Amino acid sequence: MAGSGKAHMRPEGDVVLEVNDLTVEFKLSKNQIVKAVSGVSFDLIRGETLAIVGESGCGKSTLGKAILQLPKPTSGSVNFLSKELTSLSKRELRDMRPAMQMIFQDPVSSLDPRLPVSEVLAEPLRVWKRGNEVEINAKIDELLLAANLDPAVVRDRRSYEFSGGQCQRISIARSLALDPTMIICDEPVSALDVSVQAQILNLLQDMKDRYGLTLIFISHDLAVVKAVSTRVMVMYLGKVCEVAPPEELYRNTKHHYTKALVGSVPIPDPDRPISGNLIQGEPPSPLNPPSGCRFRTRCPQASDLCAQEEPQLREVSVGHFVACHHPVAE
Amino acid sequence: MPENSTPETETPLEASVETAEETPKVKKPRKTIGFYLSSAWIGFVLFLATFGPWLPGPAWDESFYDSLGVAPFHHSHILGTTMDGYDMWAGLQHGARISIFVSLIAVLIGGSIGSFVGITAAYFRGKYDLLITMIFNVMLSIPNLVLSLALLSVLAYSDEAHPVSLARRVTVLIVSLIIVIIPILGRIARGSALQWGSREFVLASKSMGSKNFFIIRKHILPNVAPAILAIGFLAVGSVIIVEGSLALLGIGIPGGASWGSMLANGRGNIEFSPHEVYLPALFIAFTVIAFNWFGDYVRVQLDKRESKI
Repeated sequence: MAGSGKAHMRPEGDVVLEVNDLTVEFKLSKNQIVKAVSGVSFDLIRGETLAIVGESGCGKSTLGKAILQLPKPTSGSVNFLSKELTSLSKRELRDMRPAMQMIFQDPVSSLDPRLPVSEVLAEPLRVWKRGNEVEINAKIDELLLAANLDPAVVRDRRSYEFSGGQCQRISIARSLALDPTMIICDEPVSALDVSVQAQILNLLQDMKDRYGLTLIFISHDLAVVKAVSTRVMVMYLGKVCEVAPPEELYRNTKHHYTKALVGSVPIPDPDRPISGNLIQGEPPSPLNPPSGCRFRTRCPQASDLCAQEEPQLREVSVGHFVACHHPVAE
Repeated sequence: MPENSTPETETPLEASVETAEETPKVKKPRKTIGFYLSSAWIGFVLFLATFGPWLPGPAWDESFYDSLGVAPFHHSHILGTTMDGYDMWAGLQHGARISIFVSLIAVLIGGSIGSFVGITAAYFRGKYDLLITMIFNVMLSIPNLVLSLALLSVLAYSDEAHPVSLARRVTVLIVSLIIVIIPILGRIARGSALQWGSREFVLASKSMGSKNFFIIRKHILPNVAPAILAIGFLAVGSVIIVEGSLALLGIGIPGGASWGSMLANGRGNIEFSPHEVYLPALFIAFTVIAFNWFGDYVRVQLDKRESKI
């Protein structure tokens, strides 16, 4: 499966972000090209949380960065707040940056170890000249409080004096400094303990409600995704497999890859038999992806058709789209 | 606290306060006796180099014909004189000025150029980086003594028919030392900047719309600076040795105006007045060791911080 198609787009909604046929390729040498993201399309409606899931190396982080034009994608369009980001000049693109922010996977590495927290949070405000020193200081305290940190205690400390969860709170506070419309969260909790994960997810949810944010939540953890998202997009080797709301995706899995992913979520029940039909092996190299459906080399249902023709996304039930020639039967 | 926070989101606040206070401040590394000795020696030499001309004592370029080659602790020449009657203490004082300032200026200018080029190469990557790395490698592949020798003999060749001023020789010497220093510190800066530039806070800064040179100034330079500083101190030591070697080869600064030059002049008189060789050699050795030690201290301090980060 792992195909292309645009059946899942919703042009009638209040679209914040629309990505069309986005392709990101990295040139390693003269004839070695890594196809990290190949023809991905999706849209994002205001107030939505879109989760992008897939295993390591499927291009989900690259997709997140390509949306922010860091670096610019190889081809395709990224339309954010009715502006085509890929064709903007450097200056116009910079003017769009406050509206789209990013939170990164490694909480410690996201903060400059040489700067105290107050400086970390002041940076976006100073870069965009949002107020004088007094106003910036007030804003910093407000952001820290919003992230459940005590300004008096944390202001003058540096990142290495904090735990991972605290660093991630500071990162979230920083991403909110410029009142963004959309935040791309690139695996924001995967480096954290499970107990801290819950706190950070709650914080993100709070912030989303309070500031009316639209989120893209990149993750490989389906349990986490289920808790936060309103729509899930499953990716495999740079292509979209399945798009559906989380409950529908878990209850009525259509794609064989999603089924394997859902099946691999550990369930804390010792009596439950271990499912044996999970997929084997590693994903193929993005240097030379398989023809047709990119998942066919590991798919239990693969046929000749899968090798010849790339499946397109099609609607199987309301709001549930799958790119597969032989979807999982009910 | 915001009013709408729930009990479960309140716990992390308390937790954060606690753990943040438990975390110990970065400990300063223990200052060893070597650190104090080397700081004292660097201070002493810098003092001589700066205030030498205003200190009482005989002139460095005046020959005392009545006391040729007297041993140290003579009543009017505290460290003795050379076989030509020049006062050793005055010579070492004046030599400190040339040797230290030549090395400091060379390392300062060479280090700044090297760091700038190295950091920008690491930050912007691409063809610019390839070009810079290639130039660094070419520069490093030329033995520095040979390079300085070539530059000095072409640009500041001096014989009786064509005398060249001391200022010109010193300038050419400094330029050749700068060329030696640029790729050494440039590579250190590039390596360190590559490592820091791949950290996510740089990407975060880019994504919030910071401009490239703002990011370099605010995030990369402060993180790379300690590594450059540590190697910079070591480089001062090496440059002093290069300067001495050039003088010994007869192409450095002539006339006993630097420590290396004093060494070169005294070489022939080692049987008659050994202090003429040993004293400048000791000054060079102490200074190089002191700068190395000091650089090591800076590096250790950096490593301890780094392990915290």
